[in-house]
Amino acid sequence: MEEAKAYIETGILELYVLGQLNALEQLEVEEMAAKYPEIKEEITAIEIAMEHYALSHAIQPTSGLEKQIFERITPATTNTTAKEKPEAKIVPLYNDNSASTIRSLRFALVACIALLVISTGALYSAHSSLTLANQQIASLSLDKQKFASTVSYITDENKDLQKIAAISSDPTWTPVKLSGTKISPKANLVVYWHKAGHHVVLDNTKMALPENDADHQYQLWAMVNGKPVDLGVFDAQSQPKKLLVTMKEIGNAQAFAVTLEKRGGSVNPTMEKMVVLGGVTI
Amino acid sequence: MAATKKISLSEEDLVRALKGQETIAIQALYDMYSGALLGVISRIVQHSEVAEDLLQETFIKIWNSAENYDSSKGRLFTWMINVARNLAIDKIRSKDFRNSSKNQDIENNVDFIDSQKRLTFNADTLGLRDLVTALKPEFNDVLNMVYFKGYTHVEAAEELNLPLGTVKTRIRMAIMELRKHFN
Repeated sequence: MEEAKAYIETGILELYVLGQLNALEQLEVEEMAAKYPEIKEEITAIEIAMEHYALSHAIQPTSGLEKQIFERITPATTNTTAKEKPEAKIVPLYNDNSASTIRSLRFALVACIALLVISTGALYSAHSSLTLANQQIASLSLDKQKFASTVSYITDENKDLQKIAAISSDPTWTPVKLSGTKISPKANLVVYWHKAGHHVVLDNTKMALPENDADHQYQLWAMVNGKPVDLGVFDAQSQPKKLLVTMKEIGNAQAFAVTLEKRGGSVNPTMEKMVVLGGVTI
Repeated sequence: MAATKKISLSEEDLVRALKGQETIAIQALYDMYSGALLGVISRIVQHSEVAEDLLQETFIKIWNSAENYDSSKGRLFTWMINVARNLAIDKIRSKDFRNSSKNQDIENNVDFIDSQKRLTFNADTLGLRDLVTALKPEFNDVLNMVYFKGYTHVEAAEELNLPLGTVKTRIRMAIMELRKHFN
């Protein structure tokens, strides 16, 4: 309250109403007026007094003036004052420009949308053909893998067949026929033995052994001076992976035999499980 | 124009209409305040034709810059009279105006206008002469220099060779007297 009263008494409010203050001082008065209602009231009282004072010193203008002012502010009569106010001419021109700009922008927008729709369609169709192509590529590569493995199998098989043919006609290779024993009279097997090179090869094409199960394997033995020597294990399958199976090497043997042993083979042959046996005839 | 056709609106309605660019606002403002505005303009520029041109410019400016008026900062008339006074002061300080009115004595504006135009006071401003005599002349002179002659209060202080504080006090005293008289 005290601050407001002291502020009123400085006379700054009168100068404010008379338009005598600079922008900064005006702002200060306006802040004070917003803060203290009595300052705001004081300003209004000063304003009203000055209004009365101005009204009491009024000079009536000549009667035509009112009409001139209305002509200048009424939009309908803009044309009559166009010469006086060049900006009145400029305004519609500016509006026209913006209108045409808007129109061309609208065309551009429509064109953009059309282009977007077409692009989306093209993208979608490209995407679906790409998916199709990808699927084809996947199935083709699967086919190719199958063919490649078949080809490699056939190649191996062919190589083995050639080898078998070569072994048959080569006198340095000795074919040893192993015949079935009492427990499996139908079984038989052919082993090729290269005595000088110590090579022993099983011929799967000339093998007739019952298929072994997962727990057991056939084991080939060489009988050297009455003692069995391990030449390795093999499986009897209806569809063998290889035609020729290379076994361990031996340089001297009087007979070959095959027993059924546990998987991985045994140190000594289980004689009662001997399926085939054949002596070497040179 | 007959007195019965004059339009008068409340301050709020006036401001709303003016900001809404309704021509009735200018009509009402003209009917209510053109005389008061011309009274101030005429005393600053002296020349009645120039004064009426300036009055016209004042109304155009009020119309065109209505959005700049902020009712929280003061009454509409205070803003209008400041627009009018600033236009008038700009005019008398412009080169072409000074050249054309060199022969007139700027010191005697109020007396000059009053004698030339034979001021027509409104009938309802009774007792103005009493007021003028009731105000101490030294107080009233300072207020009139600022309100009617286009002086700034600093210029008035220099002109009267008074301290700025005294000028402020005298303006305040003069307005206090006016308030007593009008309320």
